[in-house]
Amino acid sequence: MDPRTSPLHDRHVAAGAKLADFGGWSMPIEYTGGGVLAEHAAVREGVGLFDVSHLGTATVRGPGAAAFVDACLTNDLGRIGPGQAQYTLCCVPDGEPQAGGVVDDLIVYLHAEDDVLLVPNAANAAEVVARLTAAAPAGVTVTDRHAEVAVLAVQGPRSPQVLSLLGLPGELSYMSFVTGVGGGDAEVTVCRTGYTGEHGYELLVAAERAGELWDQLVEVGGDEGLRLCGLGARDTLRTEMGYPLHGHELSRDITPNQARSGWAVGWRKSAFWGREALLAEREAGPSRSLWGLRAPGRGIPRPGMAVLDAAGTRIGEVTSGTFSPSLRTGIALALLDTAAGVEEGADVAVDVRGRPQPVTVVRPPFVESHVR
Amino acid sequence: MTVPDDRRYTDQHEWTLVQAGDEGATVVRVGITDHAQDALGDIVFVQLPDVGAELAAGDPMGEVESTKSVSDVYAPVAGTVVAVNDALADTPETVNADPYGAGWLVDIRVDADGDDPTTDLLDAAAYQVLVDGS
Repeated sequence: MDPRTSPLHDRHVAAGAKLADFGGWSMPIEYTGGGVLAEHAAVREGVGLFDVSHLGTATVRGPGAAAFVDACLTNDLGRIGPGQAQYTLCCVPDGEPQAGGVVDDLIVYLHAEDDVLLVPNAANAAEVVARLTAAAPAGVTVTDRHAEVAVLAVQGPRSPQVLSLLGLPGELSYMSFVTGVGGGDAEVTVCRTGYTGEHGYELLVAAERAGELWDQLVEVGGDEGLRLCGLGARDTLRTEMGYPLHGHELSRDITPNQARSGWAVGWRKSAFWGREALLAEREAGPSRSLWGLRAPGRGIPRPGMAVLDAAGTRIGEVTSGTFSPSLRTGIALALLDTAAGVEEGADVAVDVRGRPQPVTVVRPPFVESHVR
Repeated sequence: MTVPDDRRYTDQHEWTLVQAGDEGATVVRVGITDHAQDALGDIVFVQLPDVGAELAAGDPMGEVESTKSVSDVYAPVAGTVVAVNDALADTPETVNADPYGAGWLVDIRVDADGDDPTTDLLDAAAYQVLVDGS
């Protein structure tokens, strides 16, 4: 099957993007004249513009839509009000194999009690939509809008200036959103969120208006040093923050308890998918937990590499690893066996293609968060 | 993407350039091509063999890592490593900036009785065809 493409695909090609497959979508990994390191630095120090239209979008509408979503997904929608967004998880329901495993992690936008927008990952959007559709009560409609909505991310300390120059609202508290007008007269939902650890925004716009909005952001952003950024830099940025990526730190095989994502679970709620399995695991204590690993030098732990204790015994596995452009060292996230008794600061090793490379166990983030 | 015609190439995207050798031997400088560095993206770590290492042609002799991937580097010719580019430990990005010059990786000393040990490798035109076809 040919990969799907963003409504901004032609612009990426014209800008010299190197494209790669992400969840069935052909998306920019980096841009000519930029590269991961320059794009990463732009977001940490200035401002970067990402196309993340591979992310899914779906609406859940009808009387009781928010209550329905709240009874399925893990986080407690009662913690937020209309105009706020929330990070949450779609877990495998109890009674199914791998109950409590993670189907996807996603952002929920609460517009109103009867109007909710979901932003799942590209590869999992169809399953999230299918599961919610099958479970939806009469009167609640789940609609996949993956192809209809483009998602742009403006990230970095100078992102408020870029939005301001475009007349879009930027004075928002973290995880709040409003709908404004930009890109001609296009309606744009602006949310103070992101996946980089910097002050930033994600913009939702109708696919057919995305090009105008992109062009305007590029134009007004020029004075602010805005740089086009690909998903390569998005990955180094999120890894420095210790943010999980589905398929790496979260999966059907990796529960929120193991990934230390329990903060995104409404434990006091009476119902959400996987509740019984997750409560039982939480009570017993997870068999493994997510940690950060920091290398002393530039050697890079990669996903799937074994983590070894001082005796050379395997105690876990790397789930993500990269070179940290901010720290100039290798960094990784890894699931370590609880039985190994590893604590913060422990010296362990990663089996880098047969060479044990020393690393130190740390608690992410690897660099300071500036989201708030 | 440039392919200088003063040197020879492997189908694994290494280049070789014959240096002045000493008596009875030839020193071959080895690096990766412009095409290879561009495909890798920003290079952040280069692992090189120790000086003195004995290599057979085709042996993995090092690794070049970018933020996203790692690529093995193979010995294009058999011989002994007589020099490695230590500057790359702190500035691996030199491989991106100047792959055919300051971004060289190793020098391999080949017992070749003064012959050119790289004649079996691809010339610039043949390597260009390989790259164009990939």
